[in-house]
Amino acid sequence: MPIDEKESDQPIDLSKNTCPNREQRANGTNVYYGKASELIKDAKAGNVKCHDRKLQQTSGCVLNFYLTVRVATIRDAAIIYHGPVGCSSASLGYRELFRTIPTELGRPENFELNWITTNLQQDDVVYGASQKLKDAIFKAEKRYNPKAIFILTTCTSGVIGEDIEGAVAEVQPEVKATIVPVHCEGVRSKLVQTGYDAFWHGVLKYLVKKPEKKQKDLVNVASMLSYTWQDRLEIQRLLGKVGLRANFVPEFSTVEQLEQLSEAAVTAPLCPTYTEYVSKGLKQEYGVPYFLYPSPMGIKNTDSWLRQIGKFTGKEKEIEILIEEEHKVWVPRMNAVRDELLNFKGNGEKLEVLGALGQGRLLSQLPYFDELGLSSTAALTQDFDNLILDDLETMVGENGDFDILVNTFQAAEQGHITRTRDPDITLTCPFQGGAYKREKSVTRLHALRGDADPWSLQSGYAGAVAYGEFLIQSLKNKSFGKIMKEKTSDSYKDWWYEQPDPLYYLDKGTSK
Amino acid sequence: MNIKENGNVKNINQSQNADFAGKTSIEAPKYSCALAGAYGSALGVYGLVPLLHAGLGCGLGQLFGQFYAGGQNAGGPVGGTSTPTSGLVEEHVIFGGEEKLKKLIESSSEVMEGDAFAVISGCIPSLIGDDVEAVIREFPDTPIININAAGFNGNSYEGYELFFEAIIDQILTVQPKKKGLVNIFGIVPFQHIFWKGELNAVKKLLESIGLEVNIVFTEFEGFEKLKELPAAEYNLVLSTWNGHRAAKKLGEKFDIPSIVFPSVPVGPKQTSKFLRIVGKKLSLSKDVVEEVIKKEERSTYRLIEYSGDMLLVSRPHCYFAVVADSNTAINITNFMVNELGYLPDIIQLSDNPPEEYRESIIKALTEDLESTFSPEIIFEPDSYEARENLRNRSFLFLFASSLEAHVASEFGAPNVGVPHITVSFPSYNRVILNENYVGYDGGLTLIEDFTSHFAGPL
Repeated sequence: MPIDEKESDQPIDLSKNTCPNREQRANGTNVYYGKASELIKDAKAGNVKCHDRKLQQTSGCVLNFYLTVRVATIRDAAIIYHGPVGCSSASLGYRELFRTIPTELGRPENFELNWITTNLQQDDVVYGASQKLKDAIFKAEKRYNPKAIFILTTCTSGVIGEDIEGAVAEVQPEVKATIVPVHCEGVRSKLVQTGYDAFWHGVLKYLVKKPEKKQKDLVNVASMLSYTWQDRLEIQRLLGKVGLRANFVPEFSTVEQLEQLSEAAVTAPLCPTYTEYVSKGLKQEYGVPYFLYPSPMGIKNTDSWLRQIGKFTGKEKEIEILIEEEHKVWVPRMNAVRDELLNFKGNGEKLEVLGALGQGRLLSQLPYFDELGLSSTAALTQDFDNLILDDLETMVGENGDFDILVNTFQAAEQGHITRTRDPDITLTCPFQGGAYKREKSVTRLHALRGDADPWSLQSGYAGAVAYGEFLIQSLKNKSFGKIMKEKTSDSYKDWWYEQPDPLYYLDKGTSK
Repeated sequence: MNIKENGNVKNINQSQNADFAGKTSIEAPKYSCALAGAYGSALGVYGLVPLLHAGLGCGLGQLFGQFYAGGQNAGGPVGGTSTPTSGLVEEHVIFGGEEKLKKLIESSSEVMEGDAFAVISGCIPSLIGDDVEAVIREFPDTPIININAAGFNGNSYEGYELFFEAIIDQILTVQPKKKGLVNIFGIVPFQHIFWKGELNAVKKLLESIGLEVNIVFTEFEGFEKLKELPAAEYNLVLSTWNGHRAAKKLGEKFDIPSIVFPSVPVGPKQTSKFLRIVGKKLSLSKDVVEEVIKKEERSTYRLIEYSGDMLLVSRPHCYFAVVADSNTAINITNFMVNELGYLPDIIQLSDNPPEEYRESIIKALTEDLESTFSPEIIFEPDSYEARENLRNRSFLFLFASSLEAHVASEFGAPNVGVPHITVSFPSYNRVILNENYVGYDGGLTLIEDFTSHFAGPL
């Protein structure tokens, strides 16, 4: 059943200041270990719970790191973090993130990015800081003349009960920029993805304009962490060949691009968990159709991603021609990569790969691994919620069952499962602590955002081949992981790896 | 010195006072919060395991905003995503976070490799009034330090002082004095981006004149090194303002006098002066000290000589600008002006030092300069203002943080092509493991680093 026809979907309520948490909205969880088929069964029965861990490791909150690292790259906007100085220090890379991309590759010559912290102090906590927030808004307006001012809240502003909406309502008439409050205080939810929804809620509520005209050739592409500049270029290349344009949001987009989301022909995913809220909101408010699966990762996924777009833009025929042309170029190269990987062990066995993925990546990545001739009998995922339940079921049906560890950057658990399963290749999202120290191959899943080299490409047809070749490289020299394992200390005592359960410290008494 | 006599010094206007007191909002201040400073300090002590009693993202935020920003460093075996945290959310705001912390201490002490723990409490426990001390008392057999470092109580530099104050109050006991043992203060892990290399270089330098040196950070058996602090004969504070509170408190409790230097010494001139002062204060043999100085100076200047043609032909005696923390601004400016003949155009101090230390910082930046030109000096924690202050200046190279890396190209002609060298926090475009500019060798490294940006065929 297409997702936009599901009865269980609650409408998005833009009269509210913010979205519901993922825990409530989609029965999200931060912890699970078992077969994917069991997870599906448990999720359907409503048996998936959030649990505390007795040993919790720092892993990210609603604000950090996604919003602090990415929202500060929206052009001609200003971001105000209403909090102590440390909540926004992760944003310090803002001016450099996209700056090193050569202008020859389409990076604009001039752009300004700005963020401000209200720098809350002891006195502010005691007496309130709404004046400080208002002053910051005026300062941002005067200094940067932005089109939008995003206000990102923090635990401190939340706990002391700052009236953000009140302050905004008071100053908006005096400020040209559209003020967009984003309620992303870390304490509100255990699930990082609540932050995505909170951000999109603000965008939908305050920024997206009623469509002046529908742009039939415009495809909204809501991007996510791990897509580089080259991924954009590949997607633009493919869409461009059939006369379509990609509207990449929100990272490094302009405010105008966000305002025009309502004019697009379709909203396409790069990451369904990231895109779902905005896609649904645009459909509900402005009738922009959307799909959530798959992402353009691997040959087959890219085919069906393009076909979906073709369907919504009336370009079915052009897309079929495009797919045929592209296959002629890329499928032989993909087959060569597949052959090399299939024969790598030389004994008929497939290489085993373990990836640390977001739940969005999970859906498209495992079929892509299969296409590459890799076996993935287990996967780590940051989180899980019902938003991907149907698609996960489809995927398990098509690709077979696997073990799934739901785990938001819990380094001890990830180290445990990596050590005990000992896959041929482990793909680290870079936040797994010392899990990279091992005898067998280790490489990255995510590239730097500003990486403009085709070697780092992962999306579309060119990316399917490039990342396959990248994985082959990773098998050819393992000295770094090996020497680090041998020469540096481990974070945990030996018994941790000797006992069988990565969820040893799950605190079942605290299920929510 | 009367600072008003120096016509170029733009000291302390009203808005800057307000910035320091935290009364105004600022763009991208070049430091993080007190929790970040204490967390970085704890990670600097090998064997100490930080436990963050804080929100779920406080640690991860600092991985990005303090450690990656501090020269693209990961946090080490117990840093970053390996760091245990109580991960406080709404239910703890309502019911308190003490139970969660208790479980965290239990589990961490079972599974984490380490000699001791540091519970670092952030904003939430402070706002909800958790009794952290009472929780820690339940673990009498586990060495645990209690550091209250709410982010709204100060910045990274403050976190460093809070870390040492907690150590001094809770852990240290009287030790037999060791003659010739000195402690080093004033270098803040991850915030002073060359911290690891600087500390080790200072240690070697002082060992060369016969001293024993406790740098605490980067030493294996770091927790033991912490406990040895009271045994020192002197504290050497290598900053106009960082580490002053820590050294004073240690001094008062264990009778250790402090000698304050404006920063780590960079290049032969500062280094020889440093060694002579230390030698005199600690009554070392003058012959030994002078012998070291003579030998090192001779070989260093012999090497600097190799750079002479290139320096004089490519960019001699031009203006340069600095945007950096006080420590770094002082040692680089002095080396550039007093040994290489450059002219200081504008010095912007990004570390927001408290009012009472500013006169000594200005003094260290303007006293005894070989140039007949004094720099304009601005205390500027706001990155927007710092950028604007660099417009329409004469400088031909810029020592700054990586936030200023693209300023020259953003300003357009004639600034395009003005080299930028990252020497201070944040440093996303420069990876720093052990590199530093301390001592005789350090001066050579600095010459190599900045001249390589403009050296070319004649």
